[in-house]
This record gives sequence, C-alpha cells and structure tokens, in this order.
Amino acid sequence: MRNVERLCLAHLWVAFTAFTVACVLGTWQMWVRSPLGAKVGTPGLYFMSVTAHGVSMAYVLSTFFIMGFGYFVAVTALNRPLPGKPWAWLGFWMGLIGVVMAVIPIAMGHASVLFTFYPPLTGSAWFYIGLVLVVAGSWIWCVLMIVAMAEWKRENPGRPVPLAMFATVANAVMWLWTTVGVAVELVFQVIPAALGLVQTVDVGLSRTLFSWTLHAIVYFWLLPAYTAFYTLVPRAAGGRLYSDTMGRLVFIMFLLYSLPVGIHHLLMDPEHGNGMKFIQVLLTAFVTVPTFLTIFTISASMEIAGRLRGGRGVFGWIAALPWERPMVLAAGLAFVMLGFGGFGGLINMAYGMNAMVHNTAWVTAHFHLIFGGSVVIMYFAIAYEIWPRLTGRDHVSLAPLRLQLWLWFIGMMVMTLPWHWLGLQGQWRRVANFNYADPIIAGWGPWVIVSFVGGLVLLASALLFVRNLFVLHRSPALALPRPLYALAVHPPHRVPAALNGFGLWNVLVAILMLLAYGWPLAQFAIAPSPSAIVHRVQ
Amino acid sequence: MSDPRLSEPHVLDQPWRVWATVAVLTIVFAGALLGVVIIPVVQGRAAGLDAYTAICRALGIVAGSPAQPQPSDRTPPTPVSQVVWTPDVLQVLARADTARGRAKVLEVCVACHGEQGVSVAPEFPHLNGQSGAAIYKQLHDYQSGSRVHPLMTDVAKALPEPIIADVAAYYAGQPKRDPNPATLGELPANIVQLVELGDPNRNIPPCAACHRPGAGGPIEAPILHEQGQNYLALQLKAYASGERRNDVYARMRTIAAQLTAPEIDGLSRYYAAGFR
Repeated sequence: MRNVERLCLAHLWVAFTAFTVACVLGTWQMWVRSPLGAKVGTPGLYFMSVTAHGVSMAYVLSTFFIMGFGYFVAVTALNRPLPGKPWAWLGFWMGLIGVVMAVIPIAMGHASVLFTFYPPLTGSAWFYIGLVLVVAGSWIWCVLMIVAMAEWKRENPGRPVPLAMFATVANAVMWLWTTVGVAVELVFQVIPAALGLVQTVDVGLSRTLFSWTLHAIVYFWLLPAYTAFYTLVPRAAGGRLYSDTMGRLVFIMFLLYSLPVGIHHLLMDPEHGNGMKFIQVLLTAFVTVPTFLTIFTISASMEIAGRLRGGRGVFGWIAALPWERPMVLAAGLAFVMLGFGGFGGLINMAYGMNAMVHNTAWVTAHFHLIFGGSVVIMYFAIAYEIWPRLTGRDHVSLAPLRLQLWLWFIGMMVMTLPWHWLGLQGQWRRVANFNYADPIIAGWGPWVIVSFVGGLVLLASALLFVRNLFVLHRSPALALPRPLYALAVHPPHRVPAALNGFGLWNVLVAILMLLAYGWPLAQFAIAPSPSAIVHRVQ
Repeated sequence: MSDPRLSEPHVLDQPWRVWATVAVLTIVFAGALLGVVIIPVVQGRAAGLDAYTAICRALGIVAGSPAQPQPSDRTPPTPVSQVVWTPDVLQVLARADTARGRAKVLEVCVACHGEQGVSVAPEFPHLNGQSGAAIYKQLHDYQSGSRVHPLMTDVAKALPEPIIADVAAYYAGQPKRDPNPATLGELPANIVQLVELGDPNRNIPPCAACHRPGAGGPIEAPILHEQGQNYLALQLKAYASGERRNDVYARMRTIAAQLTAPEIDGLSRYYAAGFR
C-alpha cells in the first residue's frame, strides 16, 4: 500500500460521516412528510434538511468515496506508489474546506435551494463557492488518476492496463467532462446572482447547463459499483471474470453515452425543441447497452464461480455461490435493486411515460433505489473489502456485515417501492407536507407510513455500518494478504490502444457533445430568452 | 493518452478508430434524421403544419410542438397590473437616487407617511423598511388605475417614473423600529399555523412563504411585520370583497376571501406586533 492508507481512510471517513448525518436527516424528512409527523417542523426546516441531505449524499459521500477508492485502486491495481501524494492531500483539504463552507450557510438557513440549485432561487454565495471547491479538489484526483495510469503505461509498454485502473480512469475522464456544465452554471450564472452582481438569470440556460452534468454525475457515482462488479465480485465469489474486453467496452460506453443525454431531464421544459429532445433520448437508450452487457458478463462470471464450487443444473450454480461473503451478497442484492430501478429508469426515459411521472415521487423513489440502493450497497461492500487492507485488521465475524447489507436492501425496497406507487398516484415531490385531511391525499397516508418504516430500517442499517467499521478498527484479528482483483478467464496479453486508453474516446465524446449540446446551448446566444428575477432565500 | 506504440501490433488500432467513429456518428445522424425531419414532418402533416414549420419547431427555432397546431387561444390577456419586472425596471430600482427620493418625500409624502415612513394615521401604511419593489409596484398601480384610492391616485399620477423608484428606495432604506416580539404577549396557535403552514384544507398557503423577508416569493410581495394593524385588516377585507384587485393571479383575493373575520383580526395583530 506504500503509505496511502491514511489518505484513503481520510477520504472514506469524510464520505461516511456525511452519509450518516444525511441518513438521520432523510429519516426525519420521511417522518414529517408522513401523517405521523404532519405537525412537526416548518417548511423552512424541511427544505433546509433536504438541501443538507442532498448535498451530503450527492456531493460529499459520492465524491469523497470515489476519490478514496480511486487512490486505493491506483496503488493496489498498478502496484506502484501514488504519484503526487501531496497534491492528493491538497485536493482532500480543498474538498473538506469546501464542505464546511457549504454546510454552514445551509445550517443557517441561507442556502435552502436543494442540491440541484434551481435558479432563479439563490442562496448564500459561500454555499456555491464551497461546492466549487469540492469539485476543484476532485479535479486534482482526476489528474492524479490519469497521471498514475500514464506513468504505469510508460513503465509497462504494450501491456494492458489492469481493468480496475482502466475503469477508475474512465470515471475520472468522465468526471472532468461532466463537471464542465455545472461549473459554468455556477461561475457565470449562479454565483454572480448570489453575490448580487446581476439581478436576473436565464433559467433555460442554467437548466441546460445543469442537465449537462445531471445525468453523467449519476454514472460517476455508479462506476465504482461497476468497477467492483468486474474486478472484486468475481474474485470474492471464487471465480474468474468472464471477459476483460467486455469490461473495457462497458466503461468506454459509459464514458460515451452518459454525457450527451442530459436533456432527457428536461423533457417537460419549453426551452428545447422536440427534435433535440428526441436525439438525446435516442442516445439515452444506448446507456442500457453497457448495463445489459454488465448483467450478462457478471452473471456469466458468477456462473463460472458457482460451477467451480460444484453447482449443477440451470440454476443450481446460484445456490452454490458463497453468499456468506459480503461482496457476493451485496452484488446479488445490488442486481435485484438495479433490476427494479433500471426498469423504472426506462420509463423515465420515454417521453410519453415521463410526462406522467415527471415531478412526482416516482422520480425521487427511482434515484433513491438506483443510487441509494444498488450503488451505495456496493460502496458498503467495497468498504468492507478494502478496510482490512487499509487498517491491517480483519473482520472477526461477517454476520453483522451481512445483517447490515440485508437491512439496507430490505429498508430500500420497503421505502422505495411504495414511493414509486405514490408517484404513480400523483404524489408530487419537493413539497414539505401533505394535507392528509384531503380525501384523495388521505389514501396516500398508509403508503407514506410504510415508506417511512423503510427509512427507519435504512437508518438502523447505516448506524450498524458505521459500528462495523469502528469495530474493525479495534479488531484483534490481523488481515492476511490475499488477492483482491479477479483474473479474466482469458487474461489479456495485448489490447488495441483504443481499449487501453482514452484518446480516441475523448475525441468522440467531444464530437457527440458538440452534436448533442451545440445547438441547444447556441440558441441561448442567438436568441436570448427572457430572464427570471433572482430570488434570494437568505 | 493513447500511445500507438502500446498496441501490438499497431495495425489492431486502425479498425477501432474507423468503426467506433462510424458507429457513434451513425447513431447521432439517424437520431437527427428521425427526430428533426421524419417524425416532425409526418406528425406535422396530421396537425396541418407544413414541413418547414414542423422542422423549425422540432429544432426549437419556432415555438410550439411540431405535432400540434398552436396556439389554440388568441384571446388577449387582461393584466391586473401594468408593472412588468424586466431587467430594465430592476435596473431602475437598483440605481434609484435616495437623495432625490427624500426631497420628493419631504415635498409630497411626508404629510401622511412621515419623513421616516412611520404613518400618522392608522389607515395609512407604514413604509419604513418596506420592500422597494413593493412600494414601486403600488405607486405604479395607482398611476395606471390598477389600484384606486381617493388620495393616492392623484398623488401617484403626479410622480414621473424614475421618481417613483427614488421614493421607493428612500422609504425602503428607512429603519424598522424592530421591537422584540418575544415581549409582545401570547400568540394564538391557529394564527401561527396560518403564518407558518397555511391551511391546505382551504387552499391557503402560508403567509410566510411570500411575506417573510427573503422568503423567495414574488418580488412585489410586501414585508408585513410592523405594519399597522388597521391598515392590514382594511387591505385583507378589501381583497376579500374584491374592492382591491391589483394582485397578480388574484393570489391575495383568493386567500383573503377564505379568511374568517377573527383570522383577519388575528393576522393583523400578529404582524403589527412585529412578528415575522
């Protein structure tokens, strides 16, 4: 590990601290929205809490976890020291200072604009500047990942980059592209408005710029889970990866097709023509390709493991898998949630069906199931897998780990399935309370309570997770060095440069973005639309 | 980052570059052909749109859906107020000259609203610390006839446009008296509920959603704390009866018509006491 343990642990603990706080807030929100807590709190408090919950989960947990895991992969997969470690610490401190700068105005009620900002609402400038610092810190991480891979390639000419590192760099490259949209929105539109330099803001433009970021950011969160599917899960199951090439193709396709698709978040917006929406919906459909390829490849890899362990018949290999291992269990549970969430996503993607669920609780339920469910459960499994390497101590018992993963799965299903159903009934999102005395809304009450119970189970699981990590830090068992990353059935000996780097793909991303976002952005310069008056919430 | 030396043999790479580019571009152009040309033209035909209009609508150059004839309604709108918050108007407000405003206040407004915006009679509103945009809109509405008052209509009509903004900015800059509301006695729970949560059963939104300073409601929403009790009650009654009608989208008329007499009284006392 060559002494990057502290760096990784610092990132991961910031991530999971934010996560724990956000879980408490999320549960409180579920309670006050339910008939049980209908008289508790004020809308002001509710939106403050939603902002803190969203910022913690979407920006702090994800970014710090991905950075910490990325540093871990760079050192363990490449088996060489991390280049530029002081820079990595600089990125960490920038991010942490940024988080503090953002959290203080939120807690003072000066930034209750939700994590997606929604101009012309504007909060304290410190809030936005803090978040820009977090993103800038993550850019340092991106550069370090790219440099680490480039140095390894220079030292190992002609050899394929290990898949775990290839995937991590794919995510770093994608994140650099992704953050351009929100950075431009914040620096040129929102922060000047928050500072009082301008009195109006072009909402169509800001929504378009945010959409640039909004879908790809979800894949930024998702790719570590996929990295684990391809590199950690097959090894944990005692098998081999079915195809290394498939893995490379999948990460490349995510890089290509997570970016030029963001306008599908604006299907009900008036500022874009139907034609441009159609193009991006079509491109969105291609995001399903790497997802299905992954389900196939990982299922095949698990089948290899199951049959090596003596599984027989069409489904017998499933029962033969070592489900007692947290990584295998988490992957199985993540797949179930990915199945439900993925099909929900297909519905959001379709123009006509999106019109029915748009701005309803369906959407909130969807992204909780996908990110909070499939992705975060893999974050847990990754943490359980790498923590022994970081601390030199091993888990004494895997039972509390399995219990925690099951609780998370059950809590997420109990919370989000009724939530989807409520969305189909028309329950709107982004509101602080419901009038359960209304006969139509009264019918939602029981399902909201069921959903809240799911939230309580999730909170219990979150606390158990933190407890498990604390216990590990004091565990008497010493961690034995064991292989971490899965070998492929046919380990690659040489791969074309296209599957060993991102030069070609960056050019193609640039072309795709020009075609998909060129006109939608240019139209704001050619024919500026009426601007909205800035609303300051402080 | 893709170093060609790394591919063994180098010839492996050429087809990747060619076919990846062809595949990616084919998908985009197929999408453009379908989304911008074929579907709009076919759908537009059914809606009675010519091909050119349908394509322009699909691109977003011309407003409207490429699949439907629009707009369906050509009735001219009848606004209740002539004030439009354009960037120009906001700039006028932002650049208002408070010295000039003060001069006009001493000449015209002082008799009723006081030099510092503290009114002399209970039926006149206090203007100290009021939102500049709110004062601007009311003066403008008196000018245009959207709001009518035996005294104010003529006063406002004598004020030219930039002076309105100056007067508004002057009064907006006068300090509130800022009493400590904690010392002002007990608050009825139902009034606090109306202010903080509204009453969803009657479609009444919370007062604080728009009238608390910095709430983020419509820019012209006035600040209510420390306003005179009589004035507030009079206005709520005028909205309820429809006598006053310069509220955009009839927001306040809809709300006030739902309030009971004790609620109007309670809310007026609440705000007059200095609560926000």
